[in-house]
Amino acid sequence: MIYNIADLRIDIRNQYPYTTRFCAAYLSDDQQTAVDIVATATAEELQKEKMQSPNFPDGYIENICLYRNICLQLPPFNRMLLHAAVLEYNGNAYAFLGRSGTGKSTHTGLWLQAFKGAKIVNGDKPILQINDDGVIAYGTPWMGKEGRGSNTKAPLKGLCFLEQAKENSIRRLSPAEVASKLFLQLLLPTEENAATKTLELADRLINAVPAWLLKCDISEAAVQCSFEEMTKQSFAEAKGRGL
Amino acid sequence: MKIKKGFVVRTVGGECVAVPVGEMSKNFHGMINLNGTAEFLWNFYSEEHSLDEGVAALLNEYDVDESLARADVERFMGILLKNGFAE
Repeated sequence: MIYNIADLRIDIRNQYPYTTRFCAAYLSDDQQTAVDIVATATAEELQKEKMQSPNFPDGYIENICLYRNICLQLPPFNRMLLHAAVLEYNGNAYAFLGRSGTGKSTHTGLWLQAFKGAKIVNGDKPILQINDDGVIAYGTPWMGKEGRGSNTKAPLKGLCFLEQAKENSIRRLSPAEVASKLFLQLLLPTEENAATKTLELADRLINAVPAWLLKCDISEAAVQCSFEEMTKQSFAEAKGRGL
Repeated sequence: MKIKKGFVVRTVGGECVAVPVGEMSKNFHGMINLNGTAEFLWNFYSEEHSLDEGVAALLNEYDVDESLARADVERFMGILLKNGFAE
């Protein structure tokens, strides 16, 4: 079946029904016209993934392999996978990044509590389209075990790397600092052309979107810290307006 | 000696990195950060050159004394040889 994901036409050739249900919200009305990407999972890939997650059903295993297959084919389309929680506020997207367990879900959850207008684009594995004139973050069917996200897109206006701390503080990161942190959150292809393109996209991303390091606890004060720095708006005013 | 094929070298966020691809990526998961001198030597040793040639090239490029240049080349290529990135 053909799906529209990240403004690409993707033919996903799954053997198990799991992925058909999983991607239903992204199904294309047009099942005829040429596609950009054909996604398949080879027996070898399935076997390898199965070894890592032996207790999961085959459809689930295939689903993971298919997304990896899609993501490895994205670079020629100026797109790549980013491991991050991305939320949308006031028409703009903000990405929150960090190693597993640093509180991406918690921090973005606090944003949703503070602002009615905020929503999750993708809680775990969004796709970015990176052009010279800006970066777009896309929701995809794959959005982590919590399944937070929607079929939407928004221009990405900030990268916010999270670290747990007792006191809240935020500072801009230099391009070199961003590079070293960003590499941990990318899927680097091992095929030469795709790898080269991914590094080029990462460089473009670093130049196009400002990045911060947020040291934070679990509180509304932490949200105030990231909100004010990234949106340049007053937290109290925005919250007072009920947005 | 020369650096083996199987790396993509790019500048990301102003920092030069070498990333393994193809066969090389099966044995080495990660990336190598290259500072200015390292980037220069990496490019130089993408072709077969002796230790002395590397030292001469470095002296030609940078304002350093020979013992320091030699130590740099020995250390850099030593790391690459030890890890199987050069031969």
